[in-house]
Amino acid sequence: MSQQKPHSVQTTGHVWDDDLQEYSNPLPAWWLMGFYATVVMSIIYWMIYPAWPVGKHFTTGFNTVKYVNDKGAEKSWHWNTRAQLMKDMNDAEQMQKPYFDKVTAASFEQISKDPELTSFINSAGKAIFSDNCAPCHQAGGQGKVGFFPNLTDDDWLYGGTHEKIQETIAKGRNGYMPAFKEVLNNDQLDNLANYVASLSGEKADAAKVKAGDALFHGDAAACYYCHDNSGKGRQVIGSANLTDKIWLWADVPSQDSDEKKVEVIRQVIANGLNRGVMPAWETRLKPEQIKLLSAYVYGLGGGAK
Amino acid sequence: MAAVGVAGTDQYNFDIVRKFTIMALVWGAVGMLVGVYIASELAWPFLNFDIPYITFGRLRPVHTGAVIFGFGGSALFATSYYVVQRTCQARLFGDGMASFTFWGWQAVIVLAAISYVLGYSQGREYAEMEWPIDLLIEVVWVTYLLVFVGTIMKRKQPHIYVANWFYLSFILATALLHTFNNLAVPVSLFTLKSYSLFAGTQDAMTQWWYGHNAVGFFLTAAFLGMMYYFVPKQAGRPIYSYRLSIVHFWALSFLYMWVGAHHLHWTALPDWTSTLAATFSIMLLLPSWGGMINGIMTLSGAWDKLRTDPIMRFMIVALSFYGMSTFEGPMMSLKDVNALSHYTDWTVGHVHSGALGWVAMISFGSLYHLIPKLWDTRMYSEKLINLHFWLATIGTLLYITAMWISGIMQGLMWRAFDDFGNLQYSFAESVAAMHPYYAMRAIGGMFFLTGMLLMVFNAFMTIRQANAQGARLEVSPAKAAA
Repeated sequence: MSQQKPHSVQTTGHVWDDDLQEYSNPLPAWWLMGFYATVVMSIIYWMIYPAWPVGKHFTTGFNTVKYVNDKGAEKSWHWNTRAQLMKDMNDAEQMQKPYFDKVTAASFEQISKDPELTSFINSAGKAIFSDNCAPCHQAGGQGKVGFFPNLTDDDWLYGGTHEKIQETIAKGRNGYMPAFKEVLNNDQLDNLANYVASLSGEKADAAKVKAGDALFHGDAAACYYCHDNSGKGRQVIGSANLTDKIWLWADVPSQDSDEKKVEVIRQVIANGLNRGVMPAWETRLKPEQIKLLSAYVYGLGGGAK
Repeated sequence: MAAVGVAGTDQYNFDIVRKFTIMALVWGAVGMLVGVYIASELAWPFLNFDIPYITFGRLRPVHTGAVIFGFGGSALFATSYYVVQRTCQARLFGDGMASFTFWGWQAVIVLAAISYVLGYSQGREYAEMEWPIDLLIEVVWVTYLLVFVGTIMKRKQPHIYVANWFYLSFILATALLHTFNNLAVPVSLFTLKSYSLFAGTQDAMTQWWYGHNAVGFFLTAAFLGMMYYFVPKQAGRPIYSYRLSIVHFWALSFLYMWVGAHHLHWTALPDWTSTLAATFSIMLLLPSWGGMINGIMTLSGAWDKLRTDPIMRFMIVALSFYGMSTFEGPMMSLKDVNALSHYTDWTVGHVHSGALGWVAMISFGSLYHLIPKLWDTRMYSEKLINLHFWLATIGTLLYITAMWISGIMQGLMWRAFDDFGNLQYSFAESVAAMHPYYAMRAIGGMFFLTGMLLMVFNAFMTIRQANAQGARLEVSPAKAAA
């Protein structure tokens, strides 16, 4: 093989496996030059950035980062990722500071009338909400039936004024309802479930509704104690309004039959709830961030007057 | 011994090569199938079916293990055992040991896959196997080294062919990497769970020293060894430059060891370490290209073969993807480029342009060359090889294009600020934006997988046809090949 024409280059003279040979071509010049160029590039890179360890320290490079530290002092440091991060964070904070100052100083009413501040709240609020709230309340605040309240409707367990929302975010909430299977028998649970269904206009067995009504307002179950005589709940303790069509724990809307609707309500009454926990954010977010977030959540849908 | 009248059956141990060749095809099909499935899970999450065993997190190492160590590893065992015998003109040293490497290695792949599905993992990328499997790998690998070095030592050729240098460096480096990256303390003798001997940044550094050199020596040097034998064989021409092969071999071996830390840019790793890794990655560019130049220039003067020979096409396209991804890699290791590309799908695309474009394609070409030689016949269908080539090429392009777009988009979305200095997009929004590209990636994978299945079919028919011919020619109690 390799009887190709005038190839001035010789092979090395070794032959393996019948026909494997190697030409003794020199290194391609462009290849060698290219390699040297990458070496030069690397040396330049070493001069810019921290590069070679020397004893317990390292060569720092000529590049520097200027930044403002926590105490407000201006500093210059050899290039490093830590200083770079502080610089980036501080730069962003400086951009936002005037707006946050205004948020802190203004009342909620003033904020809502200031279009520039409102657009800042929509921008910063979305970022804070996405990082902190969206994992439970979902990206748009629509919540998840059976788990997390919807923030875009006008139904508020603990109150929907700016101040109440702010309190909820800062201090957190702890929703609780006892498991009534401990004190009620199956028939009683069934009657109550029918009554609760009827409160929001769902179809229910009239006889059971009547019995349930008595239980609701009597002392055996004493539902009225938390949910009020009207069944409309009390925002002071976060008990749910049972007379509207909005459901958080029992997924009534997606059930395809009246029996199933009553059944999901019965399960909540029987098993109770101790998972209505919202953490307190005051340990994690700054007061001005919480205030801003309150305005943002208020604006998501139905903040109350 | 296999039944067919293979030339040099006694001179060489081809039985072991046949076994590894078949398993390379099997693992290729299995591994790529799992890959397509997990890519589809990302695009269409209902495919998780709420079954923990088949979630992305557990199947992902099954995919990487089956394609890298099952497919790639078996292809390397097969070709290295073939090449070292042919170029040393010596039978493989230690038939029993070689056979042990086969069964041992297959056991490793199976055990690893089972343990991943059950939820056992060291959490080290490409080294997820827990300690008992690591010990088995260690034994298999040392045996592999003995077989390979033993064969070289009894060679009847004065010079050691270049392919063997690359294979040997791959075996040595892998032994070193595997040993140090897997130093771990088991929770107890009877649990699979273990904890790394290293902590924090050192642990990450050790892992990526391993991780990138697995790419460097397992997926690059070793497959260059494959290239250095099968490209000149298939082209019927001498290697372009002996000198280039020496220089780029040593430059590659020296430089690769430094670059792992470029996986840890912008982390707790000291800045000087990451700078060194970036610069050594840049200096690695031309040494990497040395192999591509030597391969492509070997073909110069025989370009017409590209029109007629689909195997040659596989090899040249493989070398082109190799050149492209070894250019892309150093670029991505620059601090500023990495700030955009890190943690995005760009990385995934980059890996696959190397894995599909280079590693798999050069293996396909080499195995198509090898299979007829091993079974002393012709490939069942050349048309199917050609079809496989186009499916693989289109699949690879779809895959990496999708990941480029989605990766760069992710990087830009994550760092986008609005006029107030607030982040413009939430993470979930970037996930939603990636959906079409995830679908496109899965489809690219389906193309690639289809090609792989064609190859399995083609090889199966080839072997069947060879066995039939053998049975006709001789009265032989034909043991089914491997």
